[in-house]
Amino acid sequence: MPLLAIIVVAVAALLPLVVSSSYILSVGVTMFLYLVAAMSLNVIYGLLGLLSLAHIAFWGIGGYFTVIAVMDLGLSFWIALPLAGLFAGVLSIAVGFPALRLNRHSFVVVTLIFALLTTLVARDWVSLTRGPMGIPGIPSPYFFGHEIAGAYSFYYLSGVFALISLLLLYLFFTSRIADTMRAINQSEDLARSQGVNPTAYKLLAFFLSAFFTAMAGGILAFNQRVIDPLIFDFFFMQAFLIMVIVGGRGSFVGVLVAGAVMSILPEVLRFSVDLRMVLYGLALLAFVTWAPNGLAGWIREKREERLRSELRQ
Amino acid sequence: MDYIYFLQLTANGLVIGLIYALIAVGLALLFGVLGIVNFAHGELLLIGAYAMAIALPAFGLAYIPGVIVAVLTAIIAGWFIYEVFLSKLGHGEFERSILITMGLSIVILNGIQYIFTATPLLVNTEFGYAGVSIGDIRVAWTRIAAAVLSAVTFAALYILLNYTQIGRAMRAVSQNRDAALMVGMQPRKIGRNAVILAASLCGLAGAAVAPVQLVQPYLGQFLVFKAFAIIIIGGMGSIEGAVFAAIALGVIESWIGGFFPVVWQEAAGFIIMITVLMLKPSGLFSRGGMRVG
Repeated sequence: MPLLAIIVVAVAALLPLVVSSSYILSVGVTMFLYLVAAMSLNVIYGLLGLLSLAHIAFWGIGGYFTVIAVMDLGLSFWIALPLAGLFAGVLSIAVGFPALRLNRHSFVVVTLIFALLTTLVARDWVSLTRGPMGIPGIPSPYFFGHEIAGAYSFYYLSGVFALISLLLLYLFFTSRIADTMRAINQSEDLARSQGVNPTAYKLLAFFLSAFFTAMAGGILAFNQRVIDPLIFDFFFMQAFLIMVIVGGRGSFVGVLVAGAVMSILPEVLRFSVDLRMVLYGLALLAFVTWAPNGLAGWIREKREERLRSELRQ
Repeated sequence: MDYIYFLQLTANGLVIGLIYALIAVGLALLFGVLGIVNFAHGELLLIGAYAMAIALPAFGLAYIPGVIVAVLTAIIAGWFIYEVFLSKLGHGEFERSILITMGLSIVILNGIQYIFTATPLLVNTEFGYAGVSIGDIRVAWTRIAAAVLSAVTFAALYILLNYTQIGRAMRAVSQNRDAALMVGMQPRKIGRNAVILAASLCGLAGAAVAPVQLVQPYLGQFLVFKAFAIIIIGGMGSIEGAVFAAIALGVIESWIGGFFPVVWQEAAGFIIMITVLMLKPSGLFSRGGMRVG
C-alpha cells in the first residue's frame, strides 16, 4: 500500500512534464482541492457521523478571507492562507458550539442555515466583498521570487498542498483521537461513561475540517483570479458529500479514490452542469438507498462474507 | 419615522410570514410524523410554483383553478416520493433521510433548470398588478389573495388536525409513536397522509408566491432556508410553534428591511435562531418531556 501511494504521487508529480494541455492540468488542480475538502468532510461526517453542510461556507470564507487579506490588508499569500484556515476554524467553533447544544439533527439544520447565510452575506455586504460582481484581478502569489500563475504552477501548488494536507489527515485518521471519535459515533453514552467528553472531540473535528477546507478554498480563489458569491454555490457541497458517500464514510482510501474518480469522470464525459448535477443526485439516491456505506463498505462486506464462508468449511 | 411606512412594512411582512408558515408547517409535520427533515421541501414548492405559472395562461389567468392544479401536481409529486423513497426509511434513520431528500432536491431542481432554463418567469394573474388602498396603505391584490389563501388553509388545517380521524392519527404518531403503534395505528398510511398534506401545503405556498415574486429555480431554496430556521425557533415538530415563529419572522424581517441595510434582513432569521438555541435549545414552543425525534 505505501508503495502504491508513492507510485501515485510520483506519477502525479511527473504528469506536467508529459502533458502540456493546461486543460488537463486545471482538472488536476480542481481534483486536488476537492480531495482535501472531501477528506475534511470525512473527518466530521465519516468519523463522528455529524453531517455538516457548512463546508461550503468554510470553502467560500477561506476564499474570501485569503483574497481580502492579500488585496486589502497587503498580507503575503503564504500568511493569509493559514490565517484563513484559522479564521474558518474559529468560526466553526462559534457555530458548532450552539449547534451541538441540542442533538445531531439540529447540527445538520444549523450548519445548513449557516451555509446559506454566508452566501447572502457575500452577496449583500458590498463594502467588504464588493457584492455580486465579485473581486476581479487577484494577484499571483510569489514563491521565492517565482511567480505562481497559470495551470502549470497551480498544479504544483495545489498538488503539494493536497499532499501535505492529506498526509496530515492520514496521520489523524490512524491516530488514537480518531479512534475515540469512532467510539463516540458508535455509542456516545458508552464513550461518556469512559470519561470522554464528546463535545470537545466534536468541536475538534469540526475545527480541523473547517481549517483544511478553507485553505483549499483560498487556493481555488487564487487559481480562478476572481472571486464572487458563486464560490458558495451548493454544487460544491453536494460534490464533496457525494464523494464521501460514494467512497464510504469513515474510509480514508475509499474517499480518496471516489474523490479522484468523481472529479475526473464528469470532465471526461463532458456533461453540461445541469445534467451533471442530475446524475450526481441520482448517484447519491442510488448509494444512499442501496449501498449506504459506499464502495469501501461494500468491499468490506464482500470480504467479510468470503471470510465467513471460508471459516464455515 | 411615519407610521404609514411602518404599517405598510407590517402588512407586507404579514403576507410573507403567512407564506413562510405554509412551508414551515409542512416541515414540522413531516418531522413530527416521519422523523425526517425534508430537504426536497423547497422543490415541492417549486413544482407548485411552476405548475401555477404554466396553468394560469391555460385557464385564462383564473386564480383558483391555477391554485388547484398547483396543489394537485405537488400532491402527486409528494405521493410518488413517499412511495418510492421515504416509505423505505426506518424511523430514526435521520441522516439517510436527509441524504435521500437532498438527492431528490438536486435532481428536481436541476431537472427543472434543464427543462425551463434559469430565466425567471413573470407570472400574471386575473388581478394584474392592481392593488387596494386601506387608508394610506397600499397592498397588491396578489398579496391579499396569498394572505387569504393562507388564512383559509390554516383554518382548514386546524379543523383537520383537531377534529378528524386522519389528523388525530397524525398528531398521535408525532406525540408518541410507540403508543400509537401499540393501539394499532398504521405508520405507513399515516406517513403517506402526512406527506400528502405537507406536499399540498407546499403546492399552495408555491401557487401563492408565484405571482408575488419571480418564478425561478432557486425560489424554493430561499424560502425553505427561512423555514428551517423557523422550525428550530418554534421547536422542531411543533406545528403551532412553526406558525407563530413564521409570522413573527416575516414581520420582523420586513421591519428590519425597512430601516436597516438589506444584509441584516437576511441575517435576522439566523441570529434569532442562534439566540433561541443558546437560551432554549428545544425551541420556544416545545412541550416539556414529550419531545419527538
